[in-house]
Amino acid sequence: MSLVLQTIVDGLVLGGLYSLAAVGFSLIFGVMNVVNLSHGVIVLIGAYVSYILWHALGVDPLLAIPVAMAVLFAFGYVYQRGLIQLAVDRSSLLASMLVTFGVALMLRNLLVLVFSPDFKSITPSYAFNFFTLGPITLDFVRLSALGASLVLLTFLAAVLRFTGIGRVIRATAQQDMAARLCGVNARHVYGVTFGVSSAFAGASGAILGIVVPFSPPDEALWTINAFVVVTLGGVGSPSGALLGGLLLGLISTATAQYIGPAFPNAMMFLILVLMLLVRPAGLLGNAFSGSR
Amino acid sequence: MRIVGRRKFVKLVGGTVAAALSAPAVKSSRAQAAKKIVFGGSVPLSGRAAETGLNVHNGYQTAIKYLNEAAGGVEIAGEKYMLELRMFDDASDPARATTLIQRQIDEGVDFFLGSFGSNIVLPTVAITERANKPMVQSGGGSDQIFTQGYKYVFGMFPRASRQFISSVEFFKSIDPRPKTISVIMTNDAFSKTNAEGAINDCKAAGFQVLESYQLPEQITDVSSVLASVRGKTPDVLICTTHDQNSLLISRQMIATGTNVPLLYQTLGPQLATYRETLGKYANALCVQIYWDERAPYKDKFFGTAKNFADYYRKNNQRPLAYHTAGGATCIITYIHAMQAANSVKTPAVRDALAKIDVETIYGRVKFTADGDGDALLLGPAIGQVHKGVVELVYPPSEKTGTLIYPSPKWAEKS
Repeated sequence: MSLVLQTIVDGLVLGGLYSLAAVGFSLIFGVMNVVNLSHGVIVLIGAYVSYILWHALGVDPLLAIPVAMAVLFAFGYVYQRGLIQLAVDRSSLLASMLVTFGVALMLRNLLVLVFSPDFKSITPSYAFNFFTLGPITLDFVRLSALGASLVLLTFLAAVLRFTGIGRVIRATAQQDMAARLCGVNARHVYGVTFGVSSAFAGASGAILGIVVPFSPPDEALWTINAFVVVTLGGVGSPSGALLGGLLLGLISTATAQYIGPAFPNAMMFLILVLMLLVRPAGLLGNAFSGSR
Repeated sequence: MRIVGRRKFVKLVGGTVAAALSAPAVKSSRAQAAKKIVFGGSVPLSGRAAETGLNVHNGYQTAIKYLNEAAGGVEIAGEKYMLELRMFDDASDPARATTLIQRQIDEGVDFFLGSFGSNIVLPTVAITERANKPMVQSGGGSDQIFTQGYKYVFGMFPRASRQFISSVEFFKSIDPRPKTISVIMTNDAFSKTNAEGAINDCKAAGFQVLESYQLPEQITDVSSVLASVRGKTPDVLICTTHDQNSLLISRQMIATGTNVPLLYQTLGPQLATYRETLGKYANALCVQIYWDERAPYKDKFFGTAKNFADYYRKNNQRPLAYHTAGGATCIITYIHAMQAANSVKTPAVRDALAKIDVETIYGRVKFTADGDGDALLLGPAIGQVHKGVVELVYPPSEKTGTLIYPSPKWAEKS
C-alpha cells in the first residue's frame, strides 16, 4: 500500500513540473494556433537565467522566478512581433512552425556557445532536504516545484479570468475578427500572449534547474512533454495544462513502477495516440480557436 | 633632389613586387618540405554527447599541436610529416556523422579518429571498414563495434561487456565482502551492454543480483526506481549511466534519503562539475577511472602523463578529463604504428595497429584480435571521491587512497 501511495505522490509532484512547463505552449496554441517548437528552449533559457543569478549573485532560484519571467516576457513579445507575426502574415501557420523550429535550433546552439554543452545544475542549500510522512518520502525540492507550479497556474488562471487583459486575450482567441471590430489591437494581444507564455516557460525553467541537471540538448524533451500534456489536458487553459501534466506525471511513475522503468515514454505516446483518436480536443477541450 | 628616372622606377617597383611575391613562395616551398598526414572524423561538439565529445576533441587537438609545434612534426620512414586534424561537429547525431565520414572518404582521407558514443561510432565504423580505412577511437565501447568481424577499427577501451572485469575483482576485494548488487542502466547501446556485462560477471563471481532497472535513454525522474531500491537495498548499487543521468540519480538518492553501502557509477564522479554540484555528498562515491595523470607511464613523445597534463593545461581552459588523454593517445598510437610499419599506407598501418604493444601516456596500448582494448591493460581502475578529489582505490598497485566502505549515509557526510 505504501508503494502505491509513494507512486501517486511521486507522480503528482512530477506532474506539477510538467504542467507549468506546458502551460505556455498550451496558451500559444490555443490563442494563436501556433505550434511553438521553440518552447523547450525557452524553458531552458529560464533555467539558465536562474543559474546565472544563483551562480553569480547567490540569488535563490525560487526568488529568481520573477526575474526569469520578466526577461522572457520581453523576449517572447519581441519574438512574436518581430518574427512569428511576420511569418504568419507573409505565409501560413505552417511557416510559423518552421520558424519556431529554426529558432529552437539557433537558440540551442547559442546556449552551447555561451554556456558550453556541459550540463548545469542549481543546488541551493535545501536542494537535498527531504522529509517523511509515515511511509512516504517527500523530496523538498520537488515538493516546492509542485507548490510553485500550483501558485503560478492559479495566478495565470485568475489573470485570464478576472483581468481586462485576460478578457481581451480570451476574446481574441475565441473570435479574432469580432475582437478587432471591437477595437482590440490583436497584434499587440498576440505579442502579450506570447510574452506571458514565454514568461511561464521561463518560470518553469527556473524551477526545473533545481530539480534536474540540464544542458542545451534537453530542449526537445521539454517541447515533446508540453505537446503530450496539452493533448491530454486540452488546449489553451491553465486547468487543462494542470490536468494534463498531473496525468502525465502519474502515468510516468505508475508505468515505471508497475510495468517497468523502460516504458514510461512508450506508455506516454500510446496514450497520446489514443487521446488523438478518441478525444482530440483533450480532456478539458475548449472553445479556443486552436482546438477547433 | 635626385629624380628617379622612369626606367629605374619601374625596376625598383618591379623588384619590390617580385620580392614580395616570392616570399610566400619560399615559405610555401618550406612548408611543402614536410609532407602531411590528415586525420579525419567527426565528434560531437553540440548535442547530448557534446560535453565528453569536447573532451575527446581537445585530446586530439592537443596531440596534434604538440607533435607539430613542440616536436616539429613526426618522422616516418625517414621523412618528416606534419599532422592535420580535420574533425567536424556531428551534433551527437549518428546520421549526420555517417554523412560526414562518407564525405571525407570521398575526399581521400585515409586515417580516422572516433566520435564519442557507441551509437555514433557504430554506424561510422561500418563506413570506414567498407573503405578499408583504419579508425582508432576512444569513444565507443559497445560490443557490437568489435564483434562483427571488422578489421580496421581499434578502441582504447575494452568492449563494454569486458569493462567490469576489474570492477568485479574490486568488489571481491572489499572487506567485508558485499553480497548483493543492483544495477541501473539506460536504454542505449553502451549502458545496456555494460550493465549486461556487469550482471554476468557479478553472478559468475558469486554476488546475488537483486534487481536490474532499465530506464529510457534520457531521464527526468527516477523516484519509482529509488522507491524500489529503498525497499530492497543492495550492498552495491551499480549505475552504468552517462554523466548527466548519473548526477540525476545521485541527486534524487540524496533528496529522498536512499542510502546504499556503495554507490558505483561508471561515469559521472570523474567530472569536476559533478563533484562540485554534489559537494560533500560526492564523497565516497566510486567511479571507473581509465587514466590518472599521476600514473607512472613513460611516453616516447610527451615523456610522462604528467607532462601531457601540464602541456594540456597550458593550452586549454577546459578541465582535463580521462577522455582527453584517450583522444590524444589515439593519435600517438597511430604515429607509433606508422613508424613501426615504416609507411603511411593504410593496409600497412592497419597491420601495425593490430600488432601494437607500446607504452603511452595512457598506459600500455595493446588491442585484442577484435580490435578493442586489452581488458587488463586498458581496463579501468576504480576511483573513489575523497574530499572532492578522485583517489584510486583499486588495483592495489595504483592505489592513491584507501577505500571507504561502507560509505557514510548521506545525512552523515561531511
